Amino acid sequence: MIHRAAPAIALVVLAMSASVATDEEEIGHLIPPGYTPEQEADEKGLWAEFEEIELQLRKSALLVEDVYLNDYIKGIVCRVAGPYCADFRVYIMRNPGFNASMTATGMMQIWTGLITRASSSDEIAAVVGHEIAHYTRLHSLQKLRDMKKKSATGAFFDLILIAATGYSGVGQAAAIMSMLSFSREQETEADILGARLLAQAQYDPHASYRVWQKLIAEEKAAVVKREEPTAFSRTHPDAEVRMQYLKSWVTAHYGEPDVEIVADKPFVDMLNANYLFLMEDQIDTNRFGRTREMLERHAEIGVEPSLVRYFYGEMFRQRGEPGDEDLAMAAYRHSIEGGNPPPQAYKNLGYLHLKNNELEKAQNNFRLYLELEPDASDRAMIEFYLEES
Amino acid sequence: MIIRRILLLVAIGTITGCVATGYTLVQPGPNAAQELRVTADNGWNLAPTMMTPAARTGTQTWTQDGLLLDRLVLIPAVPDGGTLFIDRSNTAALPMFRKNMLPNEIEELIESTLVKYFGEGQATVSTSNLRPQMYGEQRGVMFDLSAQLSDSPDYRGTIGAFIANDKLYTIWYIAAHPHYHDKHSQRAEAIIKSAALVN
Repeated sequence: MIHRAAPAIALVVLAMSASVATDEEEIGHLIPPGYTPEQEADEKGLWAEFEEIELQLRKSALLVEDVYLNDYIKGIVCRVAGPYCADFRVYIMRNPGFNASMTATGMMQIWTGLITRASSSDEIAAVVGHEIAHYTRLHSLQKLRDMKKKSATGAFFDLILIAATGYSGVGQAAAIMSMLSFSREQETEADILGARLLAQAQYDPHASYRVWQKLIAEEKAAVVKREEPTAFSRTHPDAEVRMQYLKSWVTAHYGEPDVEIVADKPFVDMLNANYLFLMEDQIDTNRFGRTREMLERHAEIGVEPSLVRYFYGEMFRQRGEPGDEDLAMAAYRHSIEGGNPPPQAYKNLGYLHLKNNELEKAQNNFRLYLELEPDASDRAMIEFYLEES
Repeated sequence: MIIRRILLLVAIGTITGCVATGYTLVQPGPNAAQELRVTADNGWNLAPTMMTPAARTGTQTWTQDGLLLDRLVLIPAVPDGGTLFIDRSNTAALPMFRKNMLPNEIEELIESTLVKYFGEGQATVSTSNLRPQMYGEQRGVMFDLSAQLSDSPDYRGTIGAFIANDKLYTIWYIAAHPHYHDKHSQRAEAIIKSAALVN
């Protein structure tokens, strides 16, 4: 598939490179820090709509309020944004999909699935830089005006009508963002300006295409394809083309990448601190090919081995294919041997022993689970098995 | 996602004004969804199957105040390798029931199914208080659930489940929290605990 597509991709990359070579010097910020619209009615209307959505978003039950995680992400945003830092409000949304978005008003959403798919702070910064570029290039406003021009009947489906469709909060934001999806040209502009912002902030600009390499690898590993592409990829050009183009552009401007890529400690520390809830949400998607791809990456970059092995156990056990129970037991044992297992590793190893009719081994693990988790909400269930003989 | 489709159907029915809702009163006393028997009290209404397009054959959905506010779902006889709902697109990656599942795995199966039920990426679902429960002569489990949705009220509920003859039988009570959940939870839990196989 890749082999057949290669000539076409090469042509597109060449065409994009040629057009960018002449225009790239002009791709800069169009608005100053602290920008607010004063004159244009349509822009003021757009801002009013997004401000309303932001009020709803602040009440969302899926908003991640963990201070450490928020400070970490906001730190990246401010470092990339530089003088524009105060323009942005960052909202981390608990969603295992891969996405980030930015409104014309500076409301930035980061989904937790982006965090679990990244391998370094540089890769998170790459997505952030891209979204900041959309903001400072006024892409939402341009798109709005472009849509108005193209509305031949005059029956322009304006934002106020969308707000009346019954969507609210995040659903409403998603509907509007979908309508305002950016053009290929706008995406290319955001890629180039984003990579520049990345380099200016002393992040690795090569991270801009590595993000796409990972998404492509994950898509290939997926057992069940999604009904629709993710919100991010639906609004962006073909990932393979984009990855190749960005790689060429960044290499031409910033040189070859380092041979060895080492994940930064702040990123790994942040992931370790939030790993349980991030990966539990991923496991709940029941998409085991994608989960395995993530776990392999997490093991490579040095996420706490006991945690990664525990989720290997979860992935194998819940997948339930022939041989998976043995793989799950081995993974839980490795997690425990690693010295820092979650208490659930003992419990789920115990349940697997039960399946093998090894009651004594099961009960030993159940006891260890309750010692580590004396207030476990499933204590009644565990004690039921401890009383069996 | 499933709940959103139901919402759409409700909206279409309301707008057109010509679609018969087709709800029927559940008679108090013994009721059965295939061989899954429960004992109902007053006030439950059986939803028409058009309102629950993703339901498996034999599933019954009851409600007191309307499907968006509360529902009691009776899912009988899910076979080994089956899913708790129908995925017509084959892209939802619904988790499959396996006949050798233990209590923790039944809990995870239903938690993951509920993530799909509410819309993947649109909700987080957590379960708690897994405990043993007898259903007639069958050993089974009960547990509680909590779901936070992106742009809807929170939902809470209680789930009952047991395996008999290599098939899964499960009863769900899910309602908007706090008002509707608290309003019917004790009655719903009594119905769940009354579940048993028809002799």
